[in-house]
Amino acid sequence: MRLRDRVVVSVLTGVGIAAVLRLADWWFRADHIAEPVLFALLSLAFWYGISRVVLGWINYAAIAKPAHRPAPAGHSVAIFTTSSPGEPLSMFEKTLAACAEIRYPHTTYLLDDTQDARFGAVAERFGARHLELIGLPGAKAGKINRALSLTNEDFILVLDPDHIPFPEFLDRVLGHFDDDSVGFVQVSQAYYNQSRSFTAAAAAQQTYAFYGPGQMGLYGHGAAVAIGANCTFRRKALESIGGHGIGLAEDLVTAIRLHAAEWKSVYVPEIVSRGLVPEDLGSFFRQQMKWSRGVYEVVFAELPHAIGALGWRQRLSYLTIGTYYFFGATTLLYLIFPYLYLWTGFQPTSMRFAEFIAETGPVALVGVVLYLFVQRWMCDRDTETGLHLKGLALKIACWPIFLAGTLLAIVRADIPYIPTAKESVRGRFLNLAWPSLLLIFIYVVTLLHVINVRLRASEGSLELSSGAVWGMLLFATLPVLMSGGAIRAAWQARSLPKRPPWDEVDVTRSGEA
Amino acid sequence: MRIRHRVLLVTIVIGAVLIGSVALTSLSSSSEGPMSHALDRLGTMFGSFEHRMRGQLQGPGRAADLTWFDAYRNDPEKLRHPDVVLLGAFDSGIPGTLDGVIGLEHSLSTTLPLIQIYTAWGDRPDQDFPLELVTAISDMGSVPVVTWEPWLSDFASDLHPQIPLRDQRDRHGMAAVASGEYDFYIDAWAAAAAKFHKPILVRLGHEMNDPYRYPWGPQNNTNTEYIAAWRHVVDRFRHANATNILWVWSPHVAYKYWETYYPGNEYVDWVATGALNFGPIAQWSQWWSFKEIFGQKYPMLAAFGKPVMVAEFGSLAVGGNRAAWYRDALGGLTSKYPAVHALLFFNVKDDQTVTYQKVDWTIDGDSAVLRAVRPVIKKWAPPNK
Repeated sequence: MRLRDRVVVSVLTGVGIAAVLRLADWWFRADHIAEPVLFALLSLAFWYGISRVVLGWINYAAIAKPAHRPAPAGHSVAIFTTSSPGEPLSMFEKTLAACAEIRYPHTTYLLDDTQDARFGAVAERFGARHLELIGLPGAKAGKINRALSLTNEDFILVLDPDHIPFPEFLDRVLGHFDDDSVGFVQVSQAYYNQSRSFTAAAAAQQTYAFYGPGQMGLYGHGAAVAIGANCTFRRKALESIGGHGIGLAEDLVTAIRLHAAEWKSVYVPEIVSRGLVPEDLGSFFRQQMKWSRGVYEVVFAELPHAIGALGWRQRLSYLTIGTYYFFGATTLLYLIFPYLYLWTGFQPTSMRFAEFIAETGPVALVGVVLYLFVQRWMCDRDTETGLHLKGLALKIACWPIFLAGTLLAIVRADIPYIPTAKESVRGRFLNLAWPSLLLIFIYVVTLLHVINVRLRASEGSLELSSGAVWGMLLFATLPVLMSGGAIRAAWQARSLPKRPPWDEVDVTRSGEA
Repeated sequence: MRIRHRVLLVTIVIGAVLIGSVALTSLSSSSEGPMSHALDRLGTMFGSFEHRMRGQLQGPGRAADLTWFDAYRNDPEKLRHPDVVLLGAFDSGIPGTLDGVIGLEHSLSTTLPLIQIYTAWGDRPDQDFPLELVTAISDMGSVPVVTWEPWLSDFASDLHPQIPLRDQRDRHGMAAVASGEYDFYIDAWAAAAAKFHKPILVRLGHEMNDPYRYPWGPQNNTNTEYIAAWRHVVDRFRHANATNILWVWSPHVAYKYWETYYPGNEYVDWVATGALNFGPIAQWSQWWSFKEIFGQKYPMLAAFGKPVMVAEFGSLAVGGNRAAWYRDALGGLTSKYPAVHALLFFNVKDDQTVTYQKVDWTIDGDSAVLRAVRPVIKKWAPPNK
């Protein structure tokens, strides 16, 4: 970080933390408790949210970018990409063609269990080795581990098959392995199909900050993570932890194990490939289901073992990542409270609406300003900056999925590993939109109920309850407005773009989305 | 981790956060900032707007029954020299609702021009100028009577390092008020009151001569200190141009020396006292008539030359004939006590402030009392325009 940027981030963070302390001092006042149990639940939801914001700031404080190191000649490098039954052949033509264009000498391996001869033929056409790996447990990671035993290159780039790498990919990465303690180098993840639907735009928006300032902050804290796509590993590092991690969060599992084994990670915030983001709402939901179930394994399965071997900043970073999807449970609480009050009069707190706005306002303001400021570290500032309201709308729409993922993780229920769909899947509007439509229905009924109650209210109570009732209704209104995003996405999912997204990508050029 | 361990971990973490949230509330204090004040004003404006909408949709509200009173509530001078008996009430539903007042009005077949509220000094938002409440009272056509209690110990020490610590504050607290130590609070209240524009009767530091009840009493302060505090507060309000405030001086006439607490003609607009008959319910009390409680002291009260208010009016039911008490109190009141120009019913259901058991002052359900009161006050009510 340059000095000027560091000063701005520090000052904003300082102001923000002061605002959070002020907010806490105000929030936890004895006379704010209306119903103790409800107050505690509201506090849980609210302070979960605030703590995420503060953790984000702590992360931004460490933003760092490694200086480029030229790739030394002579490394032996493998590129692993995997194919599974049902994945479109034409996508592999594109990806393998692009791999052939990568300048640094390497060997590309297609790890294939489609049992479809055409895949082997495509591999051959583009000079890739075809490894037929059928019936292995552990899905993608299982194939990677078997392939490790069949190959001997010192460095392995695990490339998602939907990602089309740029010719300079390995040149931007390999130099960082000059440091013998570096176990893996992760690059940014970017997309070439984000403009093809609302869902794609929203899903991509959700990732921009993470692959820019987010991962750069994690890198600064010594906890840049592998993200399952486009991570280059040192073979020795992978072998030291018994191979690539397996499971729904195989990427995070691998990263935490490597960090616990005292390997360092480097994050290169550069776009050296572009891939796919889900274009239809159904695929997006399935992807989020997989992640929200899987990421908890970091907390429940990995951290307990790794915690002693990690530094405190790494612990904090992994705890932050591992509890991201608790957002689903807290959103449910936020949704319930206004309706509980408007229908029954029960409320968690006697806070006054005006004060709540006045106290949370500064925190929200600093949060937004910092979010906009750190966008100078976005990987592609031309296309990625903004408030990302579409992303937020879709994140809120995912709350039932996150909640399900949370509960399944607690009871340790398994869900199958399915690669995220590479081509759009037609969705039925009602199947996808019903939670949002239900919310709107409940909201409208509640609004009518409130108007009816207000019309019948006695003159002596009307004015004195005005602030509380309409304030609560305002709280209920925000998620309803946000649900417009999910409805739009569900509506779009009825029909699909005709051509696959990779048709128009030119594999010999780097850059443009 | 096994399922059992996962469930246990999640339960412990969430449980700790939940308990911690409630526990944290025991550590805190705070006061309001300018932004929430602005939002409060906005909220109050919205409440007023909703009230007006109600008027549009459902016809004129309570204010329509008080058009005769408009001349008074728009003119502080007229309220300083009223020519009628203004009835009013405090109801224990306040500050949540004014429905109790309306209920009482229905039982009495009248609409009360005055509505009394009680509010204390302090840091909490509900101890700021009660804008929402006085606006609601005003929108409903009445004038608020605000009994304003200087509980100096309600200020948090950490927020106000310039004032003495909490346990040392009450001793000569009125002298501290007079010397300006509490101007931070008085000035903010005065500024908000001035912005309200419409008249408010403020009954400041009532029953100041009762040595047992309130910290601003003689156990902590001399009468000179009390008077100095009073004058200082009134001066601060005048400085803030809060000319819409009328000052109600309200001693407890059952205790001695009350007349020595009078702040002076220039500083007082109304003279008031309570007239509550507790009956034999407390050891120190017996069934006293209105004349015994109030009538005997009336000449001295009237002698100040100000309109007189019976600020807390009522009788309990045990120990005598309640209806007769009310009939006796109100019958001929205007001729016996011509300086009395305000009478506020003390409509409190579960009053525990003085006695150890809850006592009920409400008369809504006592048809004998209502039969006694209704015809008398009917004669007092001026005709509506």
